[in-house]
Amino acid sequence: MSTLSRDQIRTLMAEVLAAQGKQMPDDEQVNLEEIGFRSLDFSELALRVEDEIDDELNFDAPELRRIATVSDVLDFLEQLQSS
Amino acid sequence: MSPSPAGHAAGNRVVTQDFDGTWEQLQSLPLPPSSALAARHHLDAVRAVRTAADGAHELLVAGRSRLTADLRDELRAEGLAVVDVVDVGGSADTGDAADVGDTTGGPVEVTSPTTDREPVPGRVWLLTSGSTGRPKRVAHTLDSLTTVGGEQPPRTWLCPYAHGAYAWWQVVTLGLRHPGQDILFVEPDELDTWPARALEVGVTAASGTPTFWRQALYRDPDAVAALPLEQVTLGGEPVDQAILTRLTELFPAARVSWIYASSEAGASIAVHDGLAGFPAAWLGRQQEGRARLDVVDGELVIASPRRGAGVDDVLRTGDRAEVVDGRVLLPGRVASDEINVGGAKASAAQVRAVLLDHPRVAWAAVRGRRAPIVGSIVTADVVPVRTDGPGTDPLTEADLSAWCTDRLPDHAVPRRVRFLDQIPIKESLKSDV
Repeated sequence: MSTLSRDQIRTLMAEVLAAQGKQMPDDEQVNLEEIGFRSLDFSELALRVEDEIDDELNFDAPELRRIATVSDVLDFLEQLQSS
Repeated sequence: MSPSPAGHAAGNRVVTQDFDGTWEQLQSLPLPPSSALAARHHLDAVRAVRTAADGAHELLVAGRSRLTADLRDELRAEGLAVVDVVDVGGSADTGDAADVGDTTGGPVEVTSPTTDREPVPGRVWLLTSGSTGRPKRVAHTLDSLTTVGGEQPPRTWLCPYAHGAYAWWQVVTLGLRHPGQDILFVEPDELDTWPARALEVGVTAASGTPTFWRQALYRDPDAVAALPLEQVTLGGEPVDQAILTRLTELFPAARVSWIYASSEAGASIAVHDGLAGFPAAWLGRQQEGRARLDVVDGELVIASPRRGAGVDDVLRTGDRAEVVDGRVLLPGRVASDEINVGGAKASAAQVRAVLLDHPRVAWAAVRGRRAPIVGSIVTADVVPVRTDGPGTDPLTEADLSAWCTDRLPDHAVPRRVRFLDQIPIKESLKSDV
């Protein structure tokens, strides 16, 4: 299974935000609420990652931990690919 | 039922890939009293019907590809011989089978039943479409399958349905019983080219699923529009206003009918006013010879005089029903319609209807897809309308997202859209929507 780099996931996240008329912040410590990145957006991003790697992510494997910042999103999806 | 095709409709024309003649000119098949015919093509199937029309046989007709080894064993255990018509220059691969000479139309191979029982003369078995697991068998007779009454104007029908399906029998019994009802059968490999053949044969009436009509209009709308159709019939799937309107506009002189029928319930609803669904005033109505229709917990419930043998008097159809502006709409199946997006419910049928309303969408299917945090998100497969010439911007996910955002709650807007370049269609002429 191929995996996406953190930068590639970041690009996909920017696309999800753009589709909602929002912008990807430069600062990865920005809180998701501030940029309006909601659970539906997170879910869409996860499926975009799945489509890119042509494989299903194992959402059940790790506990879904608290995801509060842009950095959390990128970290989580990066780790999920290798779980 | 007249005792044989030598009756008053025996002179009706039957046209298949390899035959153009009348019912009485069709060669019969040497069928055992209880038979399941594995039809290679429509000619096998209508020959079996012609043979069984004497009322002495028990018959099941299905396409050969549907009769898997498991199903063949099951049918034999139920007392049916499995019959294959032997291909010219070869033999059907049916295992331990006995050759029986067919003095009238080529050899058949008969694989005997493994259970002996007395045949039920006149019984016609239908296999359900099997979209939710193994196909079930439903018992009818040629009488219960003949649902068109009264004098009919002379017509030549197009029959694109799979051999032995309920809708196939509807067209077949029409041709077998009513004088002046000719039939052109088209095989699955003719679905791309049928309009030219229909024009050549003189088709004036056509019956098909909404997917069949969508696909035909997607592939070659001009060829379809050139047909002198007086009757256009749709059934077998949810029918939306967009396809009804398009066909009504294309054939202004034709009667456009929507028929609700199934192997279990039989033909139960017929609507000819060009509007989706049926009048809510029909709910609860009791009329001799007609089905009683009700909506119970959002599901269409039918008590049909044309139901199959052994089917419950009151049948829960599994089809979702909703009353909107005095019409009862049947947008999809109860079991597969609801998509739970983070606790909010999205209706796949409603999302699909919104997508189909887009002027550049030819076909759409909507499903839930497993997703983290919210459980499922709404996804769609879409076939865009073909555009003429260069310079037209392709339809994009963003276009559809904006269209849906204006018409649907946020959670119901498809988050992933896949564009297909063909309308998917199954042997049943349906799509999984």
